[in-house]
Amino acid sequence: MAKSRTTSENSNRTERELPDEQPDENGFLTESGNQDENLDRNDALDGSHDEQGLSGKEDDEGGHGAAEESDSSEDEVAPRNTVGDVPLEWYKDEEHIGYDISGRKIKKQTRKDRIDSFLAGVDDSKSWRKIYDKYNDEEVELTKEEIGIIRRILKGKTPHAEVDPYADYVDWFVWEDKGHPLSNAPEPKRRFIPSKWEHKKVLQYVRAIRKGWIKFDKPEEEPPFRLLWDDDSNLAENKRHGLSYIPAPKPKLPGHEESYNPSVEYIPSQEEINSYQLMYEEDRPKFIPRRFESLRSVPAYENALKEGFDRCLDLYLCPRTRKKRLNIDPETLKPKLPNRKDLKPYPTTCYFEYRGHTGPVKSISIEISGQWIASGSTDGTVRIWEIDTGRCLKVWDVGEAVQHVTWNPLPELPILAISLGRDVLLLNTGLGNEEEQLKVKELLHVEEPIITDDACDNVIVGSKEGKMCWFDMDLSSQPYKTFKVHPKDITNVAFHRSYPLFASCSDDCTAYVFHGMVYSDLNQNPLIVPLEILRGHTTSNGRGVLDCKFHPRQPWLFTAGSDSVIKLYCH
Amino acid sequence: MPKHYRPPGKKKEGNAAKYITRTKAVHYLQISLSSFRKLCILKGIFPREPKKKVEGNHKTYYHMKDIAFLAHDPLIEKFREIRAHRKKIKKAFGKKNRDQANRLLTQQPKYKLDRLVLERYPTFVDALRDLDDCLTMVHLFAALPVVESERIQVERIHNCRRLSHQWQAFISRTHKLRKTFISVKGIYYQAEVEGQKITWLTPHALQQVLTDDVDFNVMLTFLEFYETLLGFVNFKLYHSINLKYPPILDPRLEALAAELYALSRYVAASSASLPKNVEANNSSEADQRDVGENDARIDESELRLAQLQHQLPTNEPGALMHMVEDATSKDDDDDETKECKYLFKDMKFFLSREVPRESLLFIIPAFGGVVSWDGDGSPFNESDEDITYQIVDRPVQGHLFLSREYVQPQWVFDCVNARMILPTEAYSVGRVPPPHLSPFVDNEAEGYVPEYAETIKRLQAAANKQVLPLPGLGIHDVDNAQNLLIEGIVDRAEANEAAEKKKKLSILEKQYHDELNMELKGIKYSTSMLNKGSSEDNVVEEDITPNIEQIAEDDQSRSKISMSRKKRKIYEAMQISKQRKRANVDLLKERKKKAQEQKS
Repeated sequence: MAKSRTTSENSNRTERELPDEQPDENGFLTESGNQDENLDRNDALDGSHDEQGLSGKEDDEGGHGAAEESDSSEDEVAPRNTVGDVPLEWYKDEEHIGYDISGRKIKKQTRKDRIDSFLAGVDDSKSWRKIYDKYNDEEVELTKEEIGIIRRILKGKTPHAEVDPYADYVDWFVWEDKGHPLSNAPEPKRRFIPSKWEHKKVLQYVRAIRKGWIKFDKPEEEPPFRLLWDDDSNLAENKRHGLSYIPAPKPKLPGHEESYNPSVEYIPSQEEINSYQLMYEEDRPKFIPRRFESLRSVPAYENALKEGFDRCLDLYLCPRTRKKRLNIDPETLKPKLPNRKDLKPYPTTCYFEYRGHTGPVKSISIEISGQWIASGSTDGTVRIWEIDTGRCLKVWDVGEAVQHVTWNPLPELPILAISLGRDVLLLNTGLGNEEEQLKVKELLHVEEPIITDDACDNVIVGSKEGKMCWFDMDLSSQPYKTFKVHPKDITNVAFHRSYPLFASCSDDCTAYVFHGMVYSDLNQNPLIVPLEILRGHTTSNGRGVLDCKFHPRQPWLFTAGSDSVIKLYCH
Repeated sequence: MPKHYRPPGKKKEGNAAKYITRTKAVHYLQISLSSFRKLCILKGIFPREPKKKVEGNHKTYYHMKDIAFLAHDPLIEKFREIRAHRKKIKKAFGKKNRDQANRLLTQQPKYKLDRLVLERYPTFVDALRDLDDCLTMVHLFAALPVVESERIQVERIHNCRRLSHQWQAFISRTHKLRKTFISVKGIYYQAEVEGQKITWLTPHALQQVLTDDVDFNVMLTFLEFYETLLGFVNFKLYHSINLKYPPILDPRLEALAAELYALSRYVAASSASLPKNVEANNSSEADQRDVGENDARIDESELRLAQLQHQLPTNEPGALMHMVEDATSKDDDDDETKECKYLFKDMKFFLSREVPRESLLFIIPAFGGVVSWDGDGSPFNESDEDITYQIVDRPVQGHLFLSREYVQPQWVFDCVNARMILPTEAYSVGRVPPPHLSPFVDNEAEGYVPEYAETIKRLQAAANKQVLPLPGLGIHDVDNAQNLLIEGIVDRAEANEAAEKKKKLSILEKQYHDELNMELKGIKYSTSMLNKGSSEDNVVEEDITPNIEQIAEDDQSRSKISMSRKKRKIYEAMQISKQRKRANVDLLKERKKKAQEQKS
């Protein structure tokens, strides 16, 4: 290759006269060629294609000799025309275009006219590679290789494909036995003594090996698992660090609705699913059941990883406490009360109704003998009834709403005191003998009904918020027991003089009867049992039962309602 | 002076001294928050709820003893060492000292968690009690894909698979499985080991969804501990049935990714002392993934397989073998295990390709069945004449063998839960199977018994030759909550008595009033008697109807009055929860009614 490069020569030859003289130099100019030059040089070629092909081959094989002989063929290769580098205009009018090497004129060839050249071009398929050489006045046909070279040059590559522009550098200079070194300085001392730093490094290694920092054989691997729990591991109980271990609650087990194929009733309808959107985020169900027809259609659960992660968070971030969970039957919460039957008698059913008032009956009072009942109403009348028969004995029209009526507790003086407005009237009922009149004293209206028990150490107070308090005066100033009885205001409370009964009545149209037994033994707590709820009154104006009173001797309860009826409940 | 003033020099007392907030604990331990987290997870330390939160309500509190316990753990020192070592490596790389860096890399300090396992679970039973989360997590990770960016590495996943298969092999081998349930979330299993009920969830064998709202650091720390724990538990369990623990498996089956099949073969082969290899021989577990064939390897391993089979004491079981097995195993199993062991006795199952193979290969041998599958390495193929059930999950089955029944996979799960062989018509190919019910629900306590649960109950009773009351009658009586309530609270007799009395009184009253009226009007007694009968009847009927409800309500309120406030509150809360439950049941009933209406 190098050869063809060096030889490269351009090829004027191929003249018919001197065909075999320089068979080798046909060539392919290469190295220094720019295009013009190239073309110029090729001017010498003659148009015969066959010959050129042949000569090209020969050249490749036999070019060696020529290469050896001359490095540069430029001078050697002479064009046919020897006029040199003169403008060709000088020969414009001459017959010849110059002289050949032997001094003979080179005649101009007759120019083909256009049609001829065109026809020649049409006939000859190779016309596109023919070039007219002005200098030598001839047509030159470029070979395939030359075309290739032109193309490569146009692309900016080396003209010859075989050329390696980055060949390895061959160092031709022989350095051996060349005598003097570059520096004539003597060898320094450090070249002859062991290196201190290397010594230190070695020492380091030695020490590291001795101390076992550097190990050459890998440590034997222990089996990763062993029998951790022996059979008698009861002593291990103490290993906890003194705090109680609270195990994490186990995850909830799945119910029917989590099945891949739940029954129809577990699947919410579309409306229900839509209604979940209206709920608060925390109330919304976390899992919406779905139904798949077959196992193969079940997809991967999209929240699997998330739920696993949430569980992890719960395990290490959630504060744990022991919460006592009541897992009992709610019935056991109810206190053990004695049977109601054993606490009889107590009022249970409505036996009588005393009708006659036209307005709400504000207050009633039972005469101590238990024969008469007096009632005062907001219609401005006070009536006295016979209890057993329900006969209205007397009616007084006082003209103003009656607040309260009370009998004289002395049976021999059947006097009735009534309060209305700012006045208190004492009425002579005329039931007993003629009685003397008594002076009147101003009395005030009682805000809250207070009833004191017989023994005078227990007080029952009913309050407006529907609570009833049982105070034990000996025990404390706080109520011994508070009952949330009525949903509405308590209007009155009453206790029985002889039976262990007390009652409360309220605006919710009910009256409660309680058994309240106080023992003489101070260690025993009073026994309070709710016995009966008495209904029957109807509400009017938002008021219900306005007053309740026990019969002085019988376990009967009288209630006065805002529906202007007085009722008697008997056992 | 402020309320909580503490004079200088006086120590803190009470909750202030006992509890410490997380930030303070981290400062106290002088570690980073992330290593504190890791430490807490590994040591099982959790925040506690102090009675009084001294530092504020929104903070997490740790008990001081817990923190002291952490502070004395050698793991803290180890973490520091690791951190320092990592710095050294980084430095070596920075100085381009590759030798040093490589040497350091090989010498990374490691820590072991076996001490922690023993510390947290002093007895084996403790470990079993806490195994639920561990198993669920390991099974979850066994199904996850490898994600390098999240540090989920191939080895972790493989280790999880191995551990989970080892666990399943043990459960299946010893017939400890009790309940199974296919849910949308995956398949739940419940096993009973040493009296402890262990429930775990395996995801469906599909590509899992990776979400980005998950902190894998935390999960991987948990997994680290769980892997260790499960390894030790497996060791103990294998030890208890006289097996060497890290089992050496048949390489051929491992190559086929049929790890667990290999595992059960191993189990069967090495437990020569227990002549139970019959079913274990057949019990097999294989992965669903198919692995490309490796011819050379298979040839070599077939040889090994032949050797292995040769080692088995009895390769082909005869009737005698069965008898021996029955005789020997009877004494050491409890009743339930025995029941489970013989549920699928003498049955041969074949799994089609589309069936979730992994879970069925686990369940069927656990209940004494013999199973094979469509694929490489299966013990027998589809054309085997002895197959009694073929499990199929496709719309149409092409070729049918007459000698066997074709059922959907749900049948196996339902049979296992019902502990009986259910009739197969409902589960046949192409039909929508009956609803799959959860075995974890106590239907009676819940107050609603699904229809299919009743059917199963009836079938069970029929199998046990018991007679149950007709449907409708018994259940209706029990279900009617109103009746129950009244029955429970009020004595019937008492109620009747009261009603009677009321009736009588009202009659008397009425009579009296009538008479009074008549007197006033001047009507004669004799004439009034004629009208009387009819009016009386009317009154009586009017009065009685509201009575029973009224009495129940009265009784309720009476008992409420006498309760203390605290108890009353509890009682009311209970009533509310009861009501909620009842509302749920009502909703279900309503939906069912609607569905039935639509159908008809």
